[in-house]
Amino acid sequence: MRKGAVLGVIGLLGFAVLLEVAPRIGLVPQRYAPPTSRILTTLAEQLGEPRFWLAVVDTIRTWLLGLAIAVALGVVLGVLIGTVPVLRAATASTIEFLRPIPSVALIPLVVVLWGSTITSTLALVVYASFWQVIVQVLYGVADIDPVAQDTARSYRLGRWHRVRYLVWPTALPYIATGVRLAATVALILTITGELVIGSPGLGQEIATARASGAVAAMYALIVVTGLFGVAANVLTRAAERRALHWHPSMRSEAVVA
Amino acid sequence: MTGVLRRTGIALALPVVLVAVWWFASAGSTDFYFPPLRTIVEVFPETWFGPRLVDDVLPSLGRLAVGYLAALVLGVGLGMLIGSNRALRALVEPLLEFLRAVPPPVLVPILVLIAGIGNTMKVLVIISGCLWPVLLNTVEGVRAVDEVLADTCRTYRIRGRLRWWHLVLRSASPQIVTGARQALSVGIILMVISEMFAASSGLGYTVIQFKDGFQIPQMWSGVILLGLLGVLLSVLFRLAEHRVLGWYHGSRAVAKER
Amino acid sequence: MLSVEELHKVYDGKRRRVEAIGDLTFEVAEGSFVCVVGPSGCGKTTLLRCIAGLLPPTSGEVTVDGTKVSGPPEGLAVVFQEYGRSLFPWLTVADNVDLPLRAAGTARDGRRTLVGEALDAVGLADAHQAYPWQLSGGMQQRVAIARAIAYQPRVLLMDEPFAAVDAQTRADLEDLIRDVWQRLGVTLLFVTHDIDEAVYLGERVIMLSASPTHVAEDLVIDLPADRDQLSTRGDARFTELRGRVYAQIQKAKQEGKTR
Repeated sequence: MRKGAVLGVIGLLGFAVLLEVAPRIGLVPQRYAPPTSRILTTLAEQLGEPRFWLAVVDTIRTWLLGLAIAVALGVVLGVLIGTVPVLRAATASTIEFLRPIPSVALIPLVVVLWGSTITSTLALVVYASFWQVIVQVLYGVADIDPVAQDTARSYRLGRWHRVRYLVWPTALPYIATGVRLAATVALILTITGELVIGSPGLGQEIATARASGAVAAMYALIVVTGLFGVAANVLTRAAERRALHWHPSMRSEAVVA
Repeated sequence: MTGVLRRTGIALALPVVLVAVWWFASAGSTDFYFPPLRTIVEVFPETWFGPRLVDDVLPSLGRLAVGYLAALVLGVGLGMLIGSNRALRALVEPLLEFLRAVPPPVLVPILVLIAGIGNTMKVLVIISGCLWPVLLNTVEGVRAVDEVLADTCRTYRIRGRLRWWHLVLRSASPQIVTGARQALSVGIILMVISEMFAASSGLGYTVIQFKDGFQIPQMWSGVILLGLLGVLLSVLFRLAEHRVLGWYHGSRAVAKER
Repeated sequence: MLSVEELHKVYDGKRRRVEAIGDLTFEVAEGSFVCVVGPSGCGKTTLLRCIAGLLPPTSGEVTVDGTKVSGPPEGLAVVFQEYGRSLFPWLTVADNVDLPLRAAGTARDGRRTLVGEALDAVGLADAHQAYPWQLSGGMQQRVAIARAIAYQPRVLLMDEPFAAVDAQTRADLEDLIRDVWQRLGVTLLFVTHDIDEAVYLGERVIMLSASPTHVAEDLVIDLPADRDQLSTRGDARFTELRGRVYAQIQKAKQEGKTR
């Protein structure tokens, strides 16, 4: 295990060194591949700019707000649809049709409706993340042990109790998976929205940096977004493990994403 | 027979209702930004089935195909290599986790810088996003090859190409297909983004032109077209998946019954 | 044909050191059918994996047909207990049996004949185009056996192959394997925990002790070559031999407990 961690660090460092050396010896033009050291110093400079931090706060706010809305909607609708067979059958085709619609297709629409504001990006984020959550919730509800279900019915548990004691614990691992997938998607769409639509945030900073030719700043900001993505991944996985430490089996992701 | 009819009826009920509601609710609309559905449907054929089909739509899809397939080949190839070598995997894994966490659209400005605004840039953008799900899922799939199966291959001296194909690749194929599916969604997004952001042709570019030129019904028709393409590609993917993973679905169905 | 000399295997884990095999020495003559029994945890599977070249021993030597084993040897086939996991689920039954022959480079016509004959021998002549997961457990194990037969090995190792199968199917498979052995004249080493099975099938039964594992007893089974489930198992000599093996295994279990 130790050896693995060491190798991993070596890999990262090796990559950083490669990116330091390659531009300097002319392997790649410095114009669009500044050496690692320059990226890091620019990053340090950025950290001192209030403008940077404002953008960070904007991005995080959009991301988390969008995620929260998507999860709330996804769980509520998912549980509702999943537990009522008629609804499940009636909505199945609609869900299968709407799900693969690329969220970016909505970009012209949201811009026309709300302009270059956070609301536009938020709509995009909620739309894309919602599907990740609801699909997992539907899988979770469908996975309820039929024997447990019959037991609950024979003890005449009301709908509310059934949801609380039967549906919820079964669906929880799936919900956790859905939140994790949705968090990644939400971040991507947040940055995309800021980049393409121009709502305030890190994505817009990157667009600005590009427009003014500040290549090193672009890279620095990209590194920051990457770190956000890694943090999101790590945090959601850790939260998943904490919340589900009681669960007998950490179920693996349903094989459809 | 009635069973099939009934099921088709249930499947179509809600969509038909939704479309009907949209149609009639927007019928008398005078809002510039929400034209009647009827208008949108009317402009659809002339907008998309003319020269634009050949000039913008098909090239966009072509770039998607090229980028996606390149990402598949690269991702599966590298994934098999990395997945079967523990030291290599440990070396590369944190780096890959970081690289894949970078939201792909963010690389578009850089790629525009490097490759301009032509076909190369767009294909590179698609590859840069599609590569990671395929690569990482392939690594996962190769790692999880069944031990007993591996022992069987060693005993019966199944080596070299046969081993790579039957033990590694086909064993990992369910996981690889998961990655391929994620990659397809990302690919479609990137195909559109690469054209919306800085381009002079393509499907995404055209829709943005409509928006900027205030041709709203055409813009809506573009949005709908993108949606339909997303669905169509998803259906095609599922068909392909059934062919490749028929054995997997079969064996899981049997396992479930038991 | 097969010789195991002072085989010793220790698993060195992070905190524990497990001595799977202490000192095993025995020989198996060409064309004979030898069963290996022992209390659970006595390293039967480890022994088999060492012989098959899948696991390097800590010390000692395994020789197959005069050559020392340092990796999976040629002409040796293994039938595993987990039949479900040892067959390729994306290949048909026929393709599964065929694959090792393809790897060996046999010509297509020859392969087709071998596959056909092997599947006939195990009674699966109509299952060529089926997939393994469409078959019952017993039938899947037959496919694994057919694959071993088609391979035409000189040595066949079987690791508790019928443990995961129901009793009636097990009886059929036991008779099948004796029939296959007699026809092919292959050297067969059969590991099992089922004492009755060991006495019914083998010409010799090697009994292992508890950890550190060594050969507790090597018993010759002098039952007639022609055996059948009903009469042989009712035979007085069978009961006697069986009792002997049972007593030995019990003794081994006791020694394991007191240690």
